[in-house]
Amino acid sequence: MGNQVSRLKVSLHLVLLFLVTHATAEEGRYQSTYKARQAPDTLIHSATLFTGDGGVIEAGYIKMAGGTIEAVGSGMPATLDNLDTALDASGKWVTPGIIDVHSHLGDYPSPRYRPHLDGNEATAPVTAEVWAEHSVWPQDPQFPLALAGGVTTLQILPGSANLFGGRSVVVKNVSSRTVQGMKFPGAHHGLKMACGENPKLVYGEKGGPKTRMGNFAGYRQAWINALEYQAKWQNYREDLAQFESATKEDKEKKKPSPPKRDLSMETLVEVLEGRILVHNHCYRADEMAQMIDLSKEFGYRITAFHHAVEAYKVADLLAANNICAAMWADWGRFKLESFDAVKENVSLVHKASACAIVHSDSATGIQRLNQEAAKSLAAGRRMGLNISEAEAFAWITLNPARALGIDERTGSLAEGKMADVVVWNGSPFSVYSRVEKVYIDGSLVYDLEKDLKPVSDFELGHRVRGL
Amino acid sequence: MRLFILSVLLFSQALFADSYLIKNGRLVTMGMQGVIENGDIHIVDGRIVEVAQEINPESMDEVIDAGGAYVTPGLFDSGTQLGLAEVEKYVGSTDNRVKGQPLGAGFSPALALNRYSSFVPMVRKEGITRAMVLPVTGSEILAGQSALVQLGGNAPFSTNDGNAVHLYLREVDRKLAGGSQASALTQAVNSLKEAERFGKNKRAYQSGKTREFRQSENDLKTLLQVLNRDMTLVIHLDRAADIETVIAELNVFNIRLVIAGGREAWKVKELLAEREIPVVLNVIDNLPSRFDRLGARLDNAALLVGAGVKVAFMTQDLYSDTRSLTQAAGVAVAYGLTWHQAMKAITVNPAAIWGLENYGSLEAGQVADIVIWDGDPLEVMSAPTRLMIDGRWINLTTRQDLLRDRYSDLDKQDIPFGYR
Repeated sequence: MGNQVSRLKVSLHLVLLFLVTHATAEEGRYQSTYKARQAPDTLIHSATLFTGDGGVIEAGYIKMAGGTIEAVGSGMPATLDNLDTALDASGKWVTPGIIDVHSHLGDYPSPRYRPHLDGNEATAPVTAEVWAEHSVWPQDPQFPLALAGGVTTLQILPGSANLFGGRSVVVKNVSSRTVQGMKFPGAHHGLKMACGENPKLVYGEKGGPKTRMGNFAGYRQAWINALEYQAKWQNYREDLAQFESATKEDKEKKKPSPPKRDLSMETLVEVLEGRILVHNHCYRADEMAQMIDLSKEFGYRITAFHHAVEAYKVADLLAANNICAAMWADWGRFKLESFDAVKENVSLVHKASACAIVHSDSATGIQRLNQEAAKSLAAGRRMGLNISEAEAFAWITLNPARALGIDERTGSLAEGKMADVVVWNGSPFSVYSRVEKVYIDGSLVYDLEKDLKPVSDFELGHRVRGL
Repeated sequence: MRLFILSVLLFSQALFADSYLIKNGRLVTMGMQGVIENGDIHIVDGRIVEVAQEINPESMDEVIDAGGAYVTPGLFDSGTQLGLAEVEKYVGSTDNRVKGQPLGAGFSPALALNRYSSFVPMVRKEGITRAMVLPVTGSEILAGQSALVQLGGNAPFSTNDGNAVHLYLREVDRKLAGGSQASALTQAVNSLKEAERFGKNKRAYQSGKTREFRQSENDLKTLLQVLNRDMTLVIHLDRAADIETVIAELNVFNIRLVIAGGREAWKVKELLAEREIPVVLNVIDNLPSRFDRLGARLDNAALLVGAGVKVAFMTQDLYSDTRSLTQAAGVAVAYGLTWHQAMKAITVNPAAIWGLENYGSLEAGQVADIVIWDGDPLEVMSAPTRLMIDGRWINLTTRQDLLRDRYSDLDKQDIPFGYR
């Protein structure tokens, strides 16, 4: 009996220790305070549905209830009871809300003046200690513009000046006074890492790294430090557990004192322990291959390469290592490492069975991610790749959800998922189509016809709503 | 041999023949004939000689059946850096600006244009056959002259360099002229007055009997052409109040004005219409990214055209450069512009604004810049299937296509990629 009690005591201590040493921030402060608004139960029917997971339903319906998707199917649901609203969407398209895996809204807001440039802590090559959410300005008027493009969820990252740029944050595109009120409940943090030109050009004359090999030595040293830090804490936890479970007589020994906390190392350790996902800015194929080796040396996983302009050259490697590639449709040539951009990139990665994502990294591009996917699809088809529009829609919905670790909760029109839904007045693969309605957790947050749009504080009195 | 084939692929301007008949096209003539379904175009020696429902000439070097596809004039981008830089950042020279030299309005980046840049075929592949290549600010708000270029064919790359002078009066440019919009505008007006004085006293200037001028002789001669209406003054600015002030201040000169950028131009559309001042727009930049463009909006083009202002589109500063000209035009349609007006903004309107004769429409007598498309040219999923500039078919293969082909089959492991 006594034995059982002490075992319980030990495990309780371990739980407490875990909270103290690891999850302080997540479980304590900085939590998401986002609460889905009360939403009427809504049926949208007679529309073409791109379900986000590659499927298409002609003349389909979706029923949203209590903020989640209750049913999706073709024709009409068996019962129309308990409905507050029914919307005939004949001739329209219905899709999951668009997810942008790479954005700087809020940390590079408009108006874009120096006092507002909060995206890059470009003061040292390793700044894993900074968190993008502490820079995000929720009044950025670019959020409502992205909403008018159907974007319901986005990852906001630190910039790419540093080898380790800091933690990203995943937010829902909702109007809120605070960033906590936008944070996607329970979503992982990401860690922004950067390959190539940016770190070496920023630090080349500031003590280095000055070369790509210098970049690499920087990554390796940081991971070595992280392993040491992890071991220090593990030793401490073991010592403490031993101390706590020791008999009274032994307790005369000194209680072990915790190592000094290091915010940067905490971030890297959380990556090593799988609680933070790595989002790696990396253009060139050869550098992606090197980064994969690096991840294996230190035992972490790369979730996605961003701006993977040369992903088509190593699409097989990405597929084999289960790494997503986040890409632009046709952006390239603005720097040397983007010189080999091809329009077929996304389609080629998709066809290699790797996880293909179309991202924006742009406050204008984010407003038309559907068109960027369309351009990528058209280029792939023109070279003979057989890809359907429904499949391509996953590039801006379910695949980015996967890369953010939220694919169980959003990213496709599936029962039980968050009712993040967009109604389009035409095919989202047409340049002429507009977003007509956006629902987030079942709540209507944008309506083109009714002129229902969030207006940021900054826009009030300055701008015409939502254009 | 391999090198030879490559260079033929990439750089050959045309595959020769003298007369062509394009049959069964959905001809978007942009002229009096409107759209002709299943129409024919007859081209001889680089010129369109006839456009009609049915043409059956006696002899022909080549007949092309368009199979009902869209056929349009070659498109025109009214603002790009094409041919002035290979890569935007950190690489080699960017020839689009001049700094620290006694050179302003007289600067002509046309002298640096690289017609053999591998970027040129990429832009052609978007259906663009003509472009206005602009100087941007270095150390002067009068940044220099633009060049009108054709992206292939018989004529030189730059067909009419120096047809416009570019004056930058945006919020970001004020620091080049004392830091105030007022000082920048005063400097611009003074520069024109100086050129006026220079024009009246050329002999005195040459014999060194005039007061010293702020500008170099190059600049003065260039601005004199603006004052004589031989050249257009393109003013890059966005804020509505600035547009009103600039128009009022320049009223003393009888010059041809064009507003470029014009993110808040819709607020003063009646004034622009009344003065017949065209506006060259970045359609998709709707961000309130500075205080001089808080009013930026996607239906700017529709509002301006609705008031009777002539608009043209440029890709300068756009999300994906010159590659997205048709997408930008399509977005303008989604935000209220008619399809025909959007097409005008990338064909006949720039021809009129920049004084380019015999281009912009599919009509008898026009230069044969013709694009055959695989769909609606403004749709994001469409692309040209054939393209003719100045009466010559252009090979549409780009360096990007060669890269794509090299890596299209990663499973094939027997040959190293460098030999594919």
